[in-house]
Amino acid sequence: MSAAPAAASRVGVDAAGVRRVLARPAAPAVVFLAILVVIFGLSAPGFFTFENARGILASVAVLGVVAIGVNQVILAGDIDISVGSMLGLCAVAVGAVSTAVGGLILPLLAGMAVGAAVGAVNGSLTTFARIPSIIVTLGMLYALRGLTLVITGGDWVTGIPAPTRELGTGMLLGVEVPILLLLGVAAAVAAAGRFTAWGRDVHAVGGNRSAARFAGLDVTSVRLRAFVLTGALVGVAATILVGRVGSVTTDTGVGLELQVIAAVVIGGTSIAGGRGSTLAALIGTILIGVFLNGLVLLDVPPVWQNVVLGGLILLAVSTDAIRRRVLEG
Amino acid sequence: MRRFAAALVLAALGAALAGCAVGAGAPTYSADDGKTKICMMPKLVGIPYFNATERGATDAARELKVELDYNGPTEAAAVRQVEFIQQWVQLRCDAITVAGNDPDALAPALKEAQRSGIKTGSWDADVAKDARSFFVNQATFKAIGETMTDIMAAETKRKGKFLIVTGSLTAPNTNEWIAAMRKRVKERYPKMQIASVQPGEENLQKGIDVTKSYLSANPDTAGVFGITTVALPGVAEAVRQLGLKGKVAVTGLTDPVIAKPYVDEGVIKKAVLWNPEDLGYLAVFVAKKMLDGTMPTSGAFKAGRLGDVKMIAKDEVLLGPPLVFSKQDVGKYDF
Amino acid sequence: MVRSQSLSRELVLLGVLIALIVAMTVASSLFLTTGNLLNTSRFYVEPGLIALGMTLVIVTGGIDLSVGASLALVSVVMGFAYSEGVPLWLAVILGLLTGLLCGAFNGLFVTLLDLNPLVVTLGTFALFRGLAFVISDAGAVSQFPSWFEVFGQYYVGPVPLQLFVFIAAAIAVGVLLARGRFGRYVRAIGYNPRAARFSGVPVARTTVAVYALTGLLVAVAAIIYTSRVSSARADSGLGLELDVIAAVVLGGASIRGGSGTIVGTVLGVLIIAVLRNGLFMAGVPTTWQLIVIGVVLIAAVFVNEFFRKDEV
Repeated sequence: MSAAPAAASRVGVDAAGVRRVLARPAAPAVVFLAILVVIFGLSAPGFFTFENARGILASVAVLGVVAIGVNQVILAGDIDISVGSMLGLCAVAVGAVSTAVGGLILPLLAGMAVGAAVGAVNGSLTTFARIPSIIVTLGMLYALRGLTLVITGGDWVTGIPAPTRELGTGMLLGVEVPILLLLGVAAAVAAAGRFTAWGRDVHAVGGNRSAARFAGLDVTSVRLRAFVLTGALVGVAATILVGRVGSVTTDTGVGLELQVIAAVVIGGTSIAGGRGSTLAALIGTILIGVFLNGLVLLDVPPVWQNVVLGGLILLAVSTDAIRRRVLEG
Repeated sequence: MRRFAAALVLAALGAALAGCAVGAGAPTYSADDGKTKICMMPKLVGIPYFNATERGATDAARELKVELDYNGPTEAAAVRQVEFIQQWVQLRCDAITVAGNDPDALAPALKEAQRSGIKTGSWDADVAKDARSFFVNQATFKAIGETMTDIMAAETKRKGKFLIVTGSLTAPNTNEWIAAMRKRVKERYPKMQIASVQPGEENLQKGIDVTKSYLSANPDTAGVFGITTVALPGVAEAVRQLGLKGKVAVTGLTDPVIAKPYVDEGVIKKAVLWNPEDLGYLAVFVAKKMLDGTMPTSGAFKAGRLGDVKMIAKDEVLLGPPLVFSKQDVGKYDF
Repeated sequence: MVRSQSLSRELVLLGVLIALIVAMTVASSLFLTTGNLLNTSRFYVEPGLIALGMTLVIVTGGIDLSVGASLALVSVVMGFAYSEGVPLWLAVILGLLTGLLCGAFNGLFVTLLDLNPLVVTLGTFALFRGLAFVISDAGAVSQFPSWFEVFGQYYVGPVPLQLFVFIAAAIAVGVLLARGRFGRYVRAIGYNPRAARFSGVPVARTTVAVYALTGLLVAVAAIIYTSRVSSARADSGLGLELDVIAAVVLGGASIRGGSGTIVGTVLGVLIIAVLRNGLFMAGVPTTWQLIVIGVVLIAAVFVNEFFRKDEV
């Protein structure tokens, strides 16, 4: 241990600094992503093109926006597995307002309002009623899906007017709008994480709730806000999705929660709370997108997709556990 | 004391919810109010096609003065349908008619129902022949396959390479349609080639992605078929997003309501279906005739508002020829 | 102290169950018949068996999201081994082994690397189902010899045979958890894992055993299921984990670990069965059932947590 810093400083490397970078939650994911990009670039035809990269980012925009929100909930020590059903309900709101009045702002606000309201319910049941978030969001997963089916009567919402679809299919400054939204949301939430009190409090509350409470933090408000933020972001994601797909189906969002948790965890945020970053959620999302894209380009049969996803999750958490042991041991 | 109160609250909540649900749902059934009860199950509930069949079925039930229980699982899984059938036996249905997700998986449960004296039938998607008395078919596989192929041929000067996007690769009815399409191509359009069949897995986003990837990798494709009600809008959306409207022909099967935006824009010129409301109507009609013992085994019979309906086999009823819709009339259908 | 608390909680659950039965009977006179009740029990033996194992897992403070996926994998391994020529009795044993291995795999990952069970079983949730799809190539095996029907379609008089299997398993696992050393270890780990380790509880071995036992129960459930529907396919058991966890939590087990009883779980399974079947018999569309289950789950846990405050 003592030889290393001496040797390292001879080479001009600040060992402590390197350790600090490697200890960042998203570090293993970034390394893994780089390796993956190289492997696919060499073996998969058509992977290493600008167009393909943009395609990947656009296709994971919905997942990423939701994952960034859920990431905050997990950082605060809770979990939200109702996001798929929430997406379905928000999409119905977006579709309904859009076919009624058209435009972009109103449907988007409708989606965000519905999402934030559901998020508030999730958060209140978790904090005020003291029901563990896994149960609240498990029950909501069922209930919201049923509610969506009952409200729509099983019918799709079709014929979404073009202005509403801008968030999904529009281009701004030559870049697809979903990509800009994904990066924008990531930047905004990351900035909130670093520069606002709430952002910092989230880590404290997730790391050790009772200590945070003793330190005078309003634990309830911090957790509640994470849920509401997630809901609003789900509303944004719903607007993107409706834009990309052009209709609202009755199974919109089914199965999303698996991918969202996977993205957050693969990126390096700890499920126990308190450790992680928005960058982790973003990298995790991109990793999943890259992997699925690579499989398609390599002509791997779709039945292997779940195997790959599961393996990725196990690999990510194992690597994280080993890394922690090495760095702390 | 507090626990007891809490338990009362919970029980009251549960009962209240159940009461709401019952109120919001179908009417309560009791064992013997003398009315004939027909229990009808689609492949799944929650998609427009099967909402339309429900409307037709409800119309027929009202005309024939029978009770209708139209219910089904929220996902297209044969195993859920089996549980429905088994519970319907307890509900004392007089007849059970199903659109099967899997022809063999439903057979044991249907036979169990038959043994308790319930008459069984199928509609839209058939089950094993010995598990049901009659099958109400919307259109022959041949007619569906040929109509779609003919439309595509007319739009692409009868030549080129084509993609078919289907639902699941293992669904028997879509595979029969594909077989009929291949046969038609071989017999009539030797310059056309079905280059690939891709699964959209009844998921709209997947259908879009699959079509986009394929068209990007095969830019010389002349046309794409979407042969399920979920696949076709996905195909159309993909062609539209890639800016290939007019260059790549699109046709297939779907509800007019779903196709309308794409037909109006010109991405789809013509598409095919049959009237699902009429299909639902006929299924209930046949179920009632089964119970009355008045089902013929050949020829035709009158089916209320549908007029004459033909038997194409001793146990199979045909709704009629497929329906082709285009810009002129796509707006007049509400399914 | 612990036992009397759980007893009163179970009495409350019994009260809820009775209230629901009354409500459902009012909604449909066909509900409360032996025919209907025995018929319905057929569908709940499988989630019931798995819920027994899940209770142990949740009492240790863990969770297992992969049970539906391992059910599919066991079913597929059994069915496709048989269709490839393996004698069916051997294929069944292979299935049991597969379930056991799936569970052990979960347990080892959780203990060896001290990983969060939620994430590990999320990974295996995808992995096991993916493997099921790869092995079956999205197809199904539906031809089984008629003797195979004994697992899922056989009746002893009017009573389905698998109901006896469930009762026997419930008694066995119940005794295991409530009395004896193993049960004490399980509760100790859930209550305070660090203290448990210091008091000499073999934490690693017990944890692996708990997941492996769940895997074995999943395999038994898979055999009954495959026999009941005469079909081995990779999309079996979709959504099963939600029902199982809901039943265990309804039954009073704390998701944080440390408390939970088999009696409670059995009552939880019964409550879900009564709700689902009762709503069906009343003609309620399936879409409403989803809402009811979700709300009841949240309400039930709320009431349970409400109690827990009394206990400190």
